Amino acid sequence: MTNTYITASGAPVAEISGVEWSEKRYLIVDDFVGIRQLLRESLRNIGARHIDQASSGGEAMTLLGRTHYDVVLCDFNLGEGKNGQQVLEEARVRNLMVPSSVWLMVSAEKSVESVMGAAEHQPDAYIIKPITEGVLLTRLNRVWHKKQVFQEIDAAYIEKDYLRAARLCDEQIARHKVHEIDLMRMKAALLLKAGEPEKARIVYEKLLEEREYNWARTGLGKIRMANGDHDAARQMFQGVIAENRFYIDAYDQLAAALELMGRHEDACGVLEKAAKLSPNSVPRQRNLGNTALRIGNVQLAEHAFRKCVAIGEYSIRRTVDAYLGMARVCGMKNDTKEALRLLAIAQRDFPGEVVQLRSKVTEGMVYHESGDYRRARKSGDQLEAMLEAEKQRPHTATCIEMATLLFAVGVKDAPVELLCHVVRNNHDNTVLLDEVQKIFDKARMSEEGVDLIAAARKEASEMMNMGVLLWKTGRLGDAVAWMRDSRERLPDNMRILFNSAQMLINHMQQQGYDEALMIEANGVLMHVDALAPGQQRFAQLVEQLQELIPGRGTAEASAAEDSGAPQ
Amino acid sequence: MEDGSGSPELFVFLASTVHDMKNSIAVLGGTLENLLDKGDARAAQDASHPQMAHMLYQTRRLSDNLMQLLALYKEVGKPTYPFEPVTVPLGELVHQVASQSRVLLAAKDIRLDLEFAEDLLWTLDEDLVIGVLCHAINNAVRYTRDRIRLSIAERDGMLECRVEDNGMGFPPSMIEAGASVGKGVNFLTNSSGLGLFFASEVARMHKRRQRGGAIRLENGGPLGGGCFVLQLP
Repeated sequence: MTNTYITASGAPVAEISGVEWSEKRYLIVDDFVGIRQLLRESLRNIGARHIDQASSGGEAMTLLGRTHYDVVLCDFNLGEGKNGQQVLEEARVRNLMVPSSVWLMVSAEKSVESVMGAAEHQPDAYIIKPITEGVLLTRLNRVWHKKQVFQEIDAAYIEKDYLRAARLCDEQIARHKVHEIDLMRMKAALLLKAGEPEKARIVYEKLLEEREYNWARTGLGKIRMANGDHDAARQMFQGVIAENRFYIDAYDQLAAALELMGRHEDACGVLEKAAKLSPNSVPRQRNLGNTALRIGNVQLAEHAFRKCVAIGEYSIRRTVDAYLGMARVCGMKNDTKEALRLLAIAQRDFPGEVVQLRSKVTEGMVYHESGDYRRARKSGDQLEAMLEAEKQRPHTATCIEMATLLFAVGVKDAPVELLCHVVRNNHDNTVLLDEVQKIFDKARMSEEGVDLIAAARKEASEMMNMGVLLWKTGRLGDAVAWMRDSRERLPDNMRILFNSAQMLINHMQQQGYDEALMIEANGVLMHVDALAPGQQRFAQLVEQLQELIPGRGTAEASAAEDSGAPQ
Repeated sequence: MEDGSGSPELFVFLASTVHDMKNSIAVLGGTLENLLDKGDARAAQDASHPQMAHMLYQTRRLSDNLMQLLALYKEVGKPTYPFEPVTVPLGELVHQVASQSRVLLAAKDIRLDLEFAEDLLWTLDEDLVIGVLCHAINNAVRYTRDRIRLSIAERDGMLECRVEDNGMGFPPSMIEAGASVGKGVNFLTNSSGLGLFFASEVARMHKRRQRGGAIRLENGGPLGGGCFVLQLP
């Protein structure tokens, strides 16, 4: 069907979207007063009546905190202070936007910096200046339509019900051809999150048959990397970069692949290049700093951490890592005073037990590296006392860091306890167990280490076997209670957590819905997801859990395969 | 004087200067549009009306040129430009192009004919393609007597966008320049060289199943004047 319009004034009428744009609340953010006036004029011409304006990122944050806006038109370059991307990130993290709000990022040109924001905080659309009403209205309507199409998918995503979200993508693809590519991209990402890399691979490959999408090629690389095929992944990321020198995500992934291959020097070089191309990412500068420290390039580490602190100042993604890293650098340069000042800032600005522990570790390392062994020992003793007082343990990496320091300064019991904790919670992770053994070796405790690791592993697997035995002999309630105790003893052990959630779910499947058990199972699964995202079993359990919610179960649910046995 | 061609500071300085200029030109163009668009009847009788319309045309040219220079500075067609194909219904594409040209065409009393399949979907870099088509219409404003035609249709698996006018048609030298764009000939000596070069780079960036896009210039067609053709895979 071909439409012919003959019109002196030019434009066919915009598609009627059913959205009443005149009733919405608008915010214009631009540091240039003339542009603000033009944008306001354009908005008025599409009927808008409630329009606020901000001339800086700071002003925008104040307004966003005060009023709920339906549409934000935000320039990317805002002069001093936050840029548009940082305003968006902070608005999202602080929940100042509701899911139905539209964020349009405006820029004078299409540059890599302005369209390669943090992957999880993308605006709804990018618009290039000058903006005309026709473009504005078309893009607003399109974003609105897309939000409707993605509404249910996003809701399932927030519930971490990735498998259901992926099925919803299929349903929408059949109905909305125009969003097919975005839906397929979403579906692949969901399948990856659900621990189904093979299915994600098929989606990406189908997309690549049509056109070369950088994100699809990079997605394939990530799958290869997750499968342990690090060198193949490396080649794919390098291929993407050869095609598109500015596709930043491929650099970060390439660095990760090189790290996994033990090529730390090369990884550092790649991150350095990425940071040159797109310097305003807090996580990237942090990674660069840590990698540089690891290979002993103090100068580069200093540069990266400094930059990380500077850009973090305006960003919601400000991280304590930059201050801790910077303190290490100062220690290596024998500037103990500055290192301690930075650690004081870290503890002041980033409250929380883990920061206290990590600061104390760093303090000890600073003294140790500067040759002040007496003070290093004192930090070690203080850390030991802190660990005694606090029963909760931080993440594995921090535990290992602490144990290493404690050994170095001559403390013995506390690091042994920490390492046993690590082993109990990761009893089937052989790579990590090797690492722990190496720390024992370095502390001249090789043989004791072997025994300690074996004992800790045995403890964990016995605990697990007892739970499974109770379960298999039909003592449902006892099994659930046993696993509850096991979780307390081994709070970060993935298999115990998974089996515990599985038993809670099966309990409800057999004996009926129970609010308390539902909350407990959900809590266990969310903890698993925080420890190690992207597990297939996680996605399957979340789906089973969601179907238990009264009124949620469908015919499809009962047909879903029952993978319900603890492993 | 030092040779600054390799200096990154100079490039950054130039780029930010162009940004700044673009803001000013955007305000200039937008204000002119608003003036031309408001009290139509009264404005049409005003002696300054045609002059203002011409100012708008010139502003558009400046703005397009700057946009193209910026994009080329970012090396369109090369890995440095964030090329982003999205699926667009042709109706939306044409609506955006027509609305950008609306005030200028009305002010100059030029009729725009549009012919396209409303619901046909195509995957393309929307901002780049709109930029190329608007620039082509702006060019046609200079050559047409009173009609311009934008037609878009699928032909042999390619999307063919034609911008035609009822003027005298392109001189042979320009048709040749159009044919040789991207083949190493120095077309930049021509006044429309930048636009053609930009358009051909945009066309070439679009790739699908090993096929790439292309541009060409023709004479004739339904309106009998010049015709700019953009083909996308």
